[in-house]
Amino acid sequence: MLEFLNYPFMIRAIAAGSAVALVLGYLGTFIVTRRLSFIGDGLAHASLLGVALAILLGFAPLPTAMLTAVVLAILIYYLERRTNLSGDMAIAIIFTSGMALGLILLHFYSGYQPELMSYLFGNILAISRWDLISIISASVIIITFLTIFFRRFLFATFDPVGAYLAGKKPWLYDLLLYIMTAVAIIAGIKLVGIILVSALLVIPSAISRLYTKSFVNFILLTILLSFLIINSGLILSYYLDLPSGATIVLTGSILFMFLSITKKLIK
Amino acid sequence: MEIPYLQVNNLNYSISGQTILHDISFKIEKGDILVIIGPNGSGKTTLLKLILGVIKPDKGTILINNRNVKTALGKIAYVPQKFDFDRNTPITVKEFIALEKCGKREHGLRYISDALAQVGMTGKENKKLGVLSGGEFQRLMIARALLHEKELLIFDEPAAGIDLQGEATIYSLISQINQKKGTTCLIVSHELSVVSRFAKQVLCLNKSLVCFGPPQVAITPEVLKNLYGSEAGLYHHHKH
Repeated sequence: MLEFLNYPFMIRAIAAGSAVALVLGYLGTFIVTRRLSFIGDGLAHASLLGVALAILLGFAPLPTAMLTAVVLAILIYYLERRTNLSGDMAIAIIFTSGMALGLILLHFYSGYQPELMSYLFGNILAISRWDLISIISASVIIITFLTIFFRRFLFATFDPVGAYLAGKKPWLYDLLLYIMTAVAIIAGIKLVGIILVSALLVIPSAISRLYTKSFVNFILLTILLSFLIINSGLILSYYLDLPSGATIVLTGSILFMFLSITKKLIK
Repeated sequence: MEIPYLQVNNLNYSISGQTILHDISFKIEKGDILVIIGPNGSGKTTLLKLILGVIKPDKGTILINNRNVKTALGKIAYVPQKFDFDRNTPITVKEFIALEKCGKREHGLRYISDALAQVGMTGKENKKLGVLSGGEFQRLMIARALLHEKELLIFDEPAAGIDLQGEATIYSLISQINQKKGTTCLIVSHELSVVSRFAKQVLCLNKSLVCFGPPQVAITPEVLKNLYGSEAGLYHHHKH
């Protein structure tokens, strides 16, 4: 039954998946509360630029993509605050520009690039030890930071004017939230792929907010659901021989539909 | 000479060349209730935002205790006309009120319960924020200001969208806080009855300053006509 545990690649995938579940679930509660669900999608797609740069220059793709995504997150933040652009417009511009630039760069790379496919669609076989270390390190740093400054992040997210009047700097927590989201999204792309990763930021939160009334419970349930969705999706993809990213996302979507309907029936 | 609590000097603000506020100056003492009235689009909310420091004036200064507004952060509470949030967000009354860390030990539930009791919301600590009515939410904002012992409470149309009974409760709470704790209050309202019942000072605004002073002196038929047009008398409050 647990034969998948005999394979080191599955153990690495489950370890990486669990770290990503924790961090994306946690961050997702803030992102969904801020009505910024689109940012994960934007940052993931725009990170193709980082992957392309890394492939072309021979750098390590995951750290390069993380760094690029951080720069792009800061750019989205800047466009939102310093121009007349709305949040979704800023994200859409950076999303498409980053992706377009990535495609142009890849045009100059000759030959087949298997690494690229694993970033686009996710590939659990492609998670190396170094990837695992990068993913776990990034997750631990983000979770620690978010927990230490939890109250401030929630204040800036839920009541920015109140936070400002209390003498806090809501802009700083907004910026940090964008940067952490960028890093966490990239941590998830080898599992699920650039195209689908943002679902992990949104689906667990979308389910758990139906069933909770306090923010602390919202976070705990979201993390638990995120953990269940990613790991059950991974195991299902192993047994059914299906692409891991798509299986994880569909597991989440089916759970969302089932629990939404159940909630309506309970009411 | 005693320093005014809030001092606004020659305040000017415009957006894309269009004047929103022109040359506004006034000052109030600690413990005053200032009601700001004016027709829609007269710049009332903009004036509040300038006082809060959320937007910057083109010209002019705002001083609290003779110092820049930034130095008073932590002492000001703002109750907006409408607090914009997704009502499905899971957050409880207790979590909301404790967003700001206060000096009192870890927001002991007792302090939160006390603050809620003072605004008539006993036992609502664990209610989901999204299920509160408009009136309850305004009272919660007042409880939050009480918990954190704010010096200046700023209200933007605190009774907007609330039934008459709820409105009376809000204004009597503001009045009680002002009397018991000496809290300075700024209230934007379009209702003249609020001026007669609660204001120690009134400021009439129509992009520029139309009147300022104690209500019985400042509010005249000419002022009302200037603010609301020739039919203003119809809306004037009646003293009972």
